[in-house]
Amino acid sequence: MKQIQDVYVVAARRTPVGRKGGALSTVRPDDMLAHVLRGVLDAVPAFDAADIGDVIVGCAMPEAEQGMNVARIGLLLAGLPVSVPGITINRFCASGLNAVADAAARIMTGQCDVAIGAGTESMSVMPTMMGNKVSVNPRAFEPGGPLAIAYGMGITAEKVATQYGVSREDQDAFALESHRRALAAREAGRFRDEVLPVTVRSHRPDPAGGNTVALSERVIDADEGPRADSSLEALARLRPVFAARGSVTAGNSSQMSDGAAAVLLMSETALKRTGATPLARFRGFSVAGVAPEIMGIGPVEAIPRALSQAGLRQADIDWLELNEAFAAQALAVMRTLDLDPARVNPLGGAIALGHPLGATGAIRVATLIAAMQRGEARCGMVSMCIGTGMGAAGLFEKV
Amino acid sequence: MTSSKFRIRRVAVLGAGVMGAQIAAHCANAQVRVVLYDLPAAGPDPDATVRRALAGLRKLEPAPLASTDLASQIEIAHYDRDLARLAECDLVIEAIAERMDWKQALYARVAPHLRDDAIFATNTSGLSINALAAACPEGMRHRFCGVHFFNPPRYMALVELIPALGTDAALLDRLEDFLTTTLGKNVVRALDTPNFVANRVGVFSMLAAMHHTTRLGLGFDEVDALTGPLIGRPKSATYRTADVVGLDTLAHVVNTMTGQLAADPWHRHYVLPAWLTALVERGALGQKTRAGIYRKDGRQIKVLDVDLQDYRDADRGVADEVQALLAERDPAMKLAALRASTHPQAQFLWSIFRDIFHYVAVHLGDIAHNARDIDCAMRWGFGWSAGPFETWQGAGWQQVAEWLREDIAEGHTMSAAPLPAWVTERHGVHEAGGSWSASAAAIEARPPTPRQLFPQRLPGESARATHTVWEGEEVRLWTLDDADGERVPVLSFKSRMSAVGPRVLEGLLEGIARAERDFDGLVIWQPDGPFSVGANLKQIRPVLEAGDFVALERVVADFQKASLAIKYAQVPVIAAVRGLALGGGCEFVMHSPRVVAALESYIGLVEAGVGLIPAGGGCKEFAIRSARAAEASATRDPMNFLQSVFQTVAMAQVSRSARHAQQLGLLKPDDLVVMHADEVLHVARRNAIAMAESAWRPPLPAVDIPVAGRSGIATLDMMLVNMREGGQISAHDYRVAHAAAVALCGGEIDAGTRVSEQWLLDVERALFVDLLKTRDTQARIAHMMDTGKPLRN
Repeated sequence: MKQIQDVYVVAARRTPVGRKGGALSTVRPDDMLAHVLRGVLDAVPAFDAADIGDVIVGCAMPEAEQGMNVARIGLLLAGLPVSVPGITINRFCASGLNAVADAAARIMTGQCDVAIGAGTESMSVMPTMMGNKVSVNPRAFEPGGPLAIAYGMGITAEKVATQYGVSREDQDAFALESHRRALAAREAGRFRDEVLPVTVRSHRPDPAGGNTVALSERVIDADEGPRADSSLEALARLRPVFAARGSVTAGNSSQMSDGAAAVLLMSETALKRTGATPLARFRGFSVAGVAPEIMGIGPVEAIPRALSQAGLRQADIDWLELNEAFAAQALAVMRTLDLDPARVNPLGGAIALGHPLGATGAIRVATLIAAMQRGEARCGMVSMCIGTGMGAAGLFEKV
Repeated sequence: MTSSKFRIRRVAVLGAGVMGAQIAAHCANAQVRVVLYDLPAAGPDPDATVRRALAGLRKLEPAPLASTDLASQIEIAHYDRDLARLAECDLVIEAIAERMDWKQALYARVAPHLRDDAIFATNTSGLSINALAAACPEGMRHRFCGVHFFNPPRYMALVELIPALGTDAALLDRLEDFLTTTLGKNVVRALDTPNFVANRVGVFSMLAAMHHTTRLGLGFDEVDALTGPLIGRPKSATYRTADVVGLDTLAHVVNTMTGQLAADPWHRHYVLPAWLTALVERGALGQKTRAGIYRKDGRQIKVLDVDLQDYRDADRGVADEVQALLAERDPAMKLAALRASTHPQAQFLWSIFRDIFHYVAVHLGDIAHNARDIDCAMRWGFGWSAGPFETWQGAGWQQVAEWLREDIAEGHTMSAAPLPAWVTERHGVHEAGGSWSASAAAIEARPPTPRQLFPQRLPGESARATHTVWEGEEVRLWTLDDADGERVPVLSFKSRMSAVGPRVLEGLLEGIARAERDFDGLVIWQPDGPFSVGANLKQIRPVLEAGDFVALERVVADFQKASLAIKYAQVPVIAAVRGLALGGGCEFVMHSPRVVAALESYIGLVEAGVGLIPAGGGCKEFAIRSARAAEASATRDPMNFLQSVFQTVAMAQVSRSARHAQQLGLLKPDDLVVMHADEVLHVARRNAIAMAESAWRPPLPAVDIPVAGRSGIATLDMMLVNMREGGQISAHDYRVAHAAAVALCGGEIDAGTRVSEQWLLDVERALFVDLLKTRDTQARIAHMMDTGKPLRN
């Protein structure tokens, strides 16, 4: 077994991202997953799916419709051979990115030559952001206990805003810019190559009467989140959601969403065998812990660590997908690391495009790879903060 | 055989404007199926107009819907598509704009689709019922009448029922029963005269106020301070009411009077003042346009000042010397003092009283069947605590009449019309046998109200006789002298606002014991005021200040004992609720095996407001209900139910209606909601008897109750931690809410542990006493008692 080998992305596809309760709300997350798995396989026709060593799927709330090891369920629904295994992993918001990195690691360590890293999440099917049953360990509340694990993400964003001095005005301006970029990108068709349209099938009582079920189909082919009617005035009118005198609003936070994405990875050996075209080389992944009460700051630790492991400098990164969990934390990360705003989220981020928790990491890898294919990016990174206080960063380089 | 029963299965409301939509909403409140019609909207969705109206119902304040989910019960229809559905409706209420030609055209359109036994009614406030009847096909006219609701229809008790000349009398009686019992309204039978009864008098009252405002050079804010609660009228008083009603609507009503009452002695006053016409012309129509007589500038309320031709701060109030005159308790002395004073505010008040007295005396014969109808119309339609005749009679009929005559003679009154002769001949208009009818020149008896055992009384009317079974210091057990009374007594609290202290608790136990011994059931009902505002803080405060927590714990234990006595009594103990049932009052309600609650019941566990948790069994009852609901669910997780219950308790949420209380879990799904508050006692007594007849047994003691325990508490604490960190609650709020979490989750024990009812009571009692010992809770209690407002500390 060859111990260390390079890993290449040969396909990355995602669904459009729907708003919670919106266009994709009736599509099951396992069906969304099956759809993107099929999508990446269809992108590389001349290869035998039985060669896939593992399908690793990120999901932040892996229960109910997205429970039962959704990775295995999704791949079987996608018609992959029964010999292909699947595993669901959870690192909250970085689950999808972590799945891609874990799939890459399988190949790097020679455990297999082909693997898929993916993510799926339907926040529409979850009754709360924390899943079907919220239950925190009572010890969190004992003196000296890890109280911050009980904090909602919004409170942590407020704490970041206070600690890093991010004003309400700056957060709103950042949010508006996210929508502006996303709308411009959508109009220019810059998401077209990465997005796999989803056909939503509805089963409803026939309006014409009778005891029959009417089946209707609607094709969803674009992200639902970006708002053309957003403005600084409208954003300024929103009231803080999490703190009485806070600055974090529904408008400068990421949207709750539904979506899925998959990334097909191969070793050099597999490339040669299948004749697939490499799109990008996986350059590394890093994850780091921070204080849970300021979880949004996680990328500040993860980004330098990933760069250092890959022997790269920040200046080498010409495209950074930095997940906008909240404008407050995204701005705090950008300011602390002195990131160039022009290179961060050139097509908008989660405030406009939505944030289907465990899927987002894989979705943004698809966006980055598509930018590389268009020749807009050479060396790119996907990074995100993670609930309970972590940051993750993954590096990709155009081949 | 008697004639077949009259059933209104479905109502159609034509016109989804402000009134139409709200009338439909109230039908839904009453669980009457209702179809709301309007014109098809232009554009892709022909139902857009009605949909918009339904969306508006969810936002409107005060809420027209008793619970927001009722909006989806209102069926959507438009005239082009759905006229055939009118055949399913037993009552059709037209509520479109006040244009005779539009109404005529609509009537012609709908008439062929109405069933030949359907009642067709108009909600017009200004057009003639007989003129509208003429627009109906001849065969329909005997089924046509006016039903005039007041805005907002859910809350205003009055509906004027106006027959046309040919309206079938039996049909009117049946419709009145429906309006009263099913919709919970108070009906006044009116004549087909312009603006009917309440608006005729009410609008004159406004015009008189405007006339005297200008004459005496008062500010509009000054007049509103004078004509609000100080004289028994709503807080919106005169000018704020005009803004709420809409100045254009007011103009329309006044125009009706101008056009149709040419021979009226007050006709020259049926005009709007120039300043008001100017406001309407420039689109300042009141609340709906955010500016009218008043305007809100940020937080500052401004009022129009006619002299300045601009808005100024609304800061003028009632002069001290006039306040002093109004503090006089004897109505005769008060009116005399106002008349004698030279202060312009006092002169204003005397003038408006005098001119309304003069107006109703002259017009009684032609606008109403009797004086009772005018007084009741003003109470129910305008929210006055007393109608004009009652006020007059209360101040001394002949003395006031004498003053009127003098003022008429001296030319002070708005009209020189002489007082009718009967005014001089009589000593009042209301007496034990009924009220004066000027047109019949006789006293007309009040029609019987078999479902309302204690209807609102007018001066001179006596209440129904009751018989005291037993009386304690703060509780009275009594019966009515009728067949139901022999079987079911009523227990009433004598304390102020029916607050519950140790003596009420003792009396309650005694009352229940006597009911078990001598009767078949018991109804807890208060003749006046709310069901109960909860614990009697006044009685508890000295014990608290003395720091006698042992005694306080004993009181709480007695409270719990009383709740259990209600729940487990051998005869059904029915809580008959109208108005407020808060704190301990709410806990009694929760323990009653069957509650009969008026729709307008505002029920809540408000203890958190004074830094406490429910400990009269309220938390315990919620813990049991959540456990039982969980056992019947797939996940068996009580947290599915406890989370919303916890918010209700921790936020001290009060229901906005009895139906909302059912949604909050404060009332059980099978508790009864009664639309008319004055029918609650009747329904409660009949229910007690029905339960006794059904060999009803109290529930078996609650045992083996699985609780959410420590895990559940942590889940609820998680919510609290975030609110505390976000500065949304104080440290003491956190402490109180945490205590509620512990009580609701059955204490700091393992999740799923099965406990007894007594364990749960002990947990909540201990937590309650712990909170009582804190300085912050003590400060909250003291503040509430001293100011009537909650302290946020």
